[in-house]
Formats: sequence, C-alpha cells, structure tokens
Amino acid sequence: MVRFKNRYVLCEVVSEDPRCRHCIEDRAVGLAVRDAIGRVHGDYGLACCSISFTVKYLNAYTGTVLLRCRKDSYRLLCSALPFVRQLESRNQRYPCLLNTLHVGGTIRTCQKFLIQYNRRQLLLLLQTCPNEEERRCIQKSLLSCSLTEEQSQSGDEEDDDGTE
Amino acid sequence: RRELPDGGARPSVAQFKQLVVSALRELHGEVGAALPVDVLTYEEKTLSAILRVISSGLVKLWSALTLLGFYQNRRCAFRVLQTSPFLLALSGNSRELVL
Repeated sequence: MVRFKNRYVLCEVVSEDPRCRHCIEDRAVGLAVRDAIGRVHGDYGLACCSISFTVKYLNAYTGTVLLRCRKDSYRLLCSALPFVRQLESRNQRYPCLLNTLHVGGTIRTCQKFLIQYNRRQLLLLLQTCPNEEERRCIQKSLLSCSLTEEQSQSGDEEDDDGTE
Repeated sequence: RRELPDGGARPSVAQFKQLVVSALRELHGEVGAALPVDVLTYEEKTLSAILRVISSGLVKLWSALTLLGFYQNRRCAFRVLQTSPFLLALSGNSRELVL
C-alpha cells in the first residue's frame, strides 16, 4: 500500500483593500506562497514543498484557497503562510493576509469543514448586520441553505456580495 | 573543525561568520540563518575554524557549508575535518595516542 499522501491546507485571504478581490487568482496566490516559502525556508524548503504543490480550489468571492502539498513538507508550508504579505497580479500589489482554517488529508474533509465554517459565518454575519435589508437577504440565503448541500455554497456567495 | 582553501582573499573572523550565516540563509532561508552558530576558534593563516552548533542543526549547517561555492567571486570549498560532541576530542587524533 504505497501511495503519495498529500495534505490539503484550507486558507482564507483577508484584505482591507476591496480591489484585492479581483486579483485573487490561482497563479498569483501560488506564486506568492512559493515566494514566501523560498524566503523563509531557502532553496531546500522551496524544492521540498514544490514537489506536489498546487492551488486546488479558489473562491474569489469569499477568499477561500485550498492548497495541496506532500505530507512530509506540510509543516514547512504552514509555517511559511504567515509570511505572505502581498498578492501581485497584473503589475499591481495588494497587501493581504492568509489565515489557515483547516488542514486535511483529503479534499472531501476540507469541503465538509468549509461547509460547516460557512454556515457558522452566515450566522455570525446575521448577528452583526447593520440594516434591515441585509438582514432579510441573509435570512433568505440561510433558509435556502437548509434544503440541500449544493445550494448552501451558492447561498454563501450571494451573502458575501450583499454585505460587501 | 573546518578548513577552507582559497585563492586570494583571507576572510577575518567576522567575515567568516558572515559567510557561514549567508550559506545557511541561501539553503535554509530565514529559519536557517537564525540557527545559533558560534565560531569558537579561527586561524587566519590556515583558514581553519572550530564551529559550534546545536545538535539538531548539524545537518543543516553541514549541508549549507557543503553547497557553498563562492567567496567574493572566487571559488572556495569547505572541508569538514572532524565533528564531535566534545571539544576535547577535536584537539588530537585519538588513534595516535600513546599511553
């Protein structure tokens, strides 16, 4: 039973600049993370983590990023994520942070965690709602959440567009 | 104990330490450069030195020194003569000890 084991790291891109949303692309995020690993862990760390490194999933609306790396080097990757300070794309730099949400062995576990996390975030947003219209918007998406699992994903995107 | 053969320039103690730290930084990044390395003795004539490092950092230090190729644009190489957890063992060759 010899197979390559991967670790999937789920992170969230946090940025004060609202224009940063448009420049969140998989290539930009991948380059920024690789650059940070190269600075923190040198040539050896960069080569170690780049063996099976890809950006598996990216959601520009919520700023969710799923990275994949080998099981042997996921600690190097996780320790270098706080050193990602800016995203660069199309010759524009935006300062940002990467929050690590979850590290899992498969995409399925990360997806389960993301669904639960988004549900909790929706409830939090409902409590901190400034005005009535947004409140109604969120309540509508929450009610549509409870029907099926696929609809909850689209409910999250609507909600974030509404509150931003 | 390390020996460093060179063509021309002779580094001073501080430059030697800077060389070691920059080798660590190239290969192992900021984490490697933060590894506490001490130069215990340094002889400018023979360009040999005794370095001290925490035992968990030996692999990083040795690999960084092996892969360091240039000093001031001249080729150079580090040769590790002896490693030991005890400083006394570096002073003589225990095989030639006459009791």
